[in-house]
Amino acid sequence: MANKKVAIIASSPGLETAYKALNIATAAAALDAEVAIFFTFEGLSIIHKDAEQMLKLRPGNEGLAEGFKKVNVPTVPQLLDMAKESGVRMIACQMTVDVMGLEKDHFIDGVELGGAAAFLDFAFDAQVTLNF
Amino acid sequence: MSREIQTDRVLECERLSCPMPVVKTKKAMEEMKPGEVLEVRATDKGSVADLQSWAKRTGHQYIGLIEENRVFRHFLRKASNNETKAEVKFPHTMSNEELNQKMDSSESIIVLDVREPAEYVFGHIPGAISVPLGQLEEKISQLDPGKEYAVICRTGNRSDMACQILAEHGFSKVKNVVPGMSQWQGATESDE
Repeated sequence: MANKKVAIIASSPGLETAYKALNIATAAAALDAEVAIFFTFEGLSIIHKDAEQMLKLRPGNEGLAEGFKKVNVPTVPQLLDMAKESGVRMIACQMTVDVMGLEKDHFIDGVELGGAAAFLDFAFDAQVTLNF
Repeated sequence: MSREIQTDRVLECERLSCPMPVVKTKKAMEEMKPGEVLEVRATDKGSVADLQSWAKRTGHQYIGLIEENRVFRHFLRKASNNETKAEVKFPHTMSNEELNQKMDSSESIIVLDVREPAEYVFGHIPGAISVPLGQLEEKISQLDPGKEYAVICRTGNRSDMACQILAEHGFSKVKNVVPGMSQWQGATESDE
């Protein structure tokens, strides 16, 4: 089976973005694809050690909280663990990290820091590119 | 009442949402041996389309699905690397069409199906005897070496090996059916 590549950019705030990006990423890895996620701007909160406090449902979406519980949706840390375990590359955008005054220590283990070129190097020959 | 279908492993994914069933299936399959059968039990309705796509994409065999008390029971068989093209070594073969004609002409021939029990359950030639390849040697004494056998699997690989085993045990009227059930156009029945 030819190896597929999936390149994802996560740049929006909120729990919704975390789920959109991580669900597709983990499923793609299960389908034997190589996956990289580029976290930039508000997307950085997904891989922040304090993600739980930082990631909230967007205003108007609070009603979904019950549904999340009912359907037993995995938590963001669980999805991140699965992603790491299945070899998903997680790249934090160096530029926005600097702009926001963050350090590598603020992020969970396994995150690499890189610039747009590092991500593009991967994305150039990706068959699927997604932007959340 | 839960139906018993023999498998090598059962993966419980009840009450788990997407993408968990697919992710866990992938992990479980990695730990299994080629040819083994996994049952995945899920309540997520999306798992039906997801696991079928997953199997198609990864090259594993999606055998079948039973829906029971709102639980989807998926049956998947781990493929080996050389699965898709049959490596036929046993010299005596017959085509699917030949077997179909022989059965129509009511010639006495026994169809021996050497696939896994779960594969057999979801569709087999009427009257075929189920003896999975892995159990052939221990069950060989229950078969009559004087009779004529048509040995069938999915693609002709496992039945080829079964024919060789049978020949070693003195079965002289044995033929491997190629390509096998993957292309079978004749009648089938299922235990479903």
